[in-house]
Amino acid sequence: MKIKYIPIFTEDIESQVRFFADNLGFEVFDKKNILASQECVVMQTTSPDIFILIAKDYGYGNKKCSMVVSTDDCLNDYHNMKTAGIKFYNEPQYTPTGLRAEFIDPSGNRCLLIEERNYNSLT
Amino acid sequence: MEYSRTLKNNNVIYSGTRNTYNQQTTSDFSIRFVFSGNERYNIGKRQLSIYNDSFLILNKGTHYTSTVESAIPVQSFGISFDDKFLQDFRNGWQFKDEALLSINKNPFINRYEHEFDETIYPFKGDLFFNVNHLKHHLDRGLQDELLINEYLHHCLINYFQIFNEEIFQKAQRLNFLSRSTKIEILRRLNLAKEYLYSNFNSNITLEELAEYACLSVTHLLRTFRQAFHQTPHQFLVQIRLQRAKDLLKNTDYPVNEIVNMVGFDCPSSFIRLFKGRFQTTPLKYRQGFSITIV
Repeated sequence: MKIKYIPIFTEDIESQVRFFADNLGFEVFDKKNILASQECVVMQTTSPDIFILIAKDYGYGNKKCSMVVSTDDCLNDYHNMKTAGIKFYNEPQYTPTGLRAEFIDPSGNRCLLIEERNYNSLT
Repeated sequence: MEYSRTLKNNNVIYSGTRNTYNQQTTSDFSIRFVFSGNERYNIGKRQLSIYNDSFLILNKGTHYTSTVESAIPVQSFGISFDDKFLQDFRNGWQFKDEALLSINKNPFINRYEHEFDETIYPFKGDLFFNVNHLKHHLDRGLQDELLINEYLHHCLINYFQIFNEEIFQKAQRLNFLSRSTKIEILRRLNLAKEYLYSNFNSNITLEELAEYACLSVTHLLRTFRQAFHQTPHQFLVQIRLQRAKDLLKNTDYPVNEIVNMVGFDCPSSFIRLFKGRFQTTPLKYRQGFSITIV
């Protein structure tokens, strides 16, 4: 498992993208539905494996996802983490980007565990 | 590596590599895969071949013979689901929590006789990923039955999703009023599909395909196009290209030989079709893959 996406919530996606591009040198990489049912702008940071996710702030308060952890086997990690006593909001769910489950850390932060799957590679 | 694991709940997982094999048996509801080569199943008069891009469903009580006749070793993988596991899954899938709590009072729960369409399905999507993960763990000696059953549960979710896509969604496309007519026509169209899957490397005429599917040629062509948005010939070409791609990736056979092996007559039309489908030539595809390996 590794941290892959750091979500940033904003009411103005465009100015947030501009801020990261102009001041930190990040580049727009893609658009994806990583967070629940909303398209996020994915920005490449200077670390090749870490991306910023810029998403619309719908005012969920402390229920917002604070970190996205990438895994190559979501069911395995979900099972091991659950066995270790970590609380999950839901069972692993299938989305167009892959398999995902949300867990909560001891401080109440919401984190997303995601196994991104390239379904197009199978055809 | 060969193993057969019987879990405490009587689900059984088999994995093995073999050169020749022949067995006649009666199975629980099971899903059969191959990860390399191909395996041929005889069910009554039907002969079904599965490759690494397809899988086969066998219902409980089906008598079959399985044969492996392949130049390369065949990696087989099969999961048999115990009746109770399958029933619990279906109850959980179909009924709400309240209904499940009054399980003894509800006459519909636990009485559902499951009979699936026993045919070849495309090995794709989440089922592909989950079965590969499960096999990966089992090959390395995974003992945790809770985790294995978690994978099996998800394999059933994934299978139902494919079943829904391949049967119900495609039946909806057929221009018939009666739902039972739609399902029956689709069942026959699936016979045509399994014939194409299993005999892709032969010269198949529309007449023999229609006869196998118990439909007239005109009826077959019309309904096949309605259900699958392509003609039987286009579907056949798609299978041939996929199998050719697999041979290019996993064997050293010359391209000309692969052309014949997958049933194409002419190398130039094969190259044109391959390029149209995968946006690269067969040679470049093979070279690109070799570079990745190194």
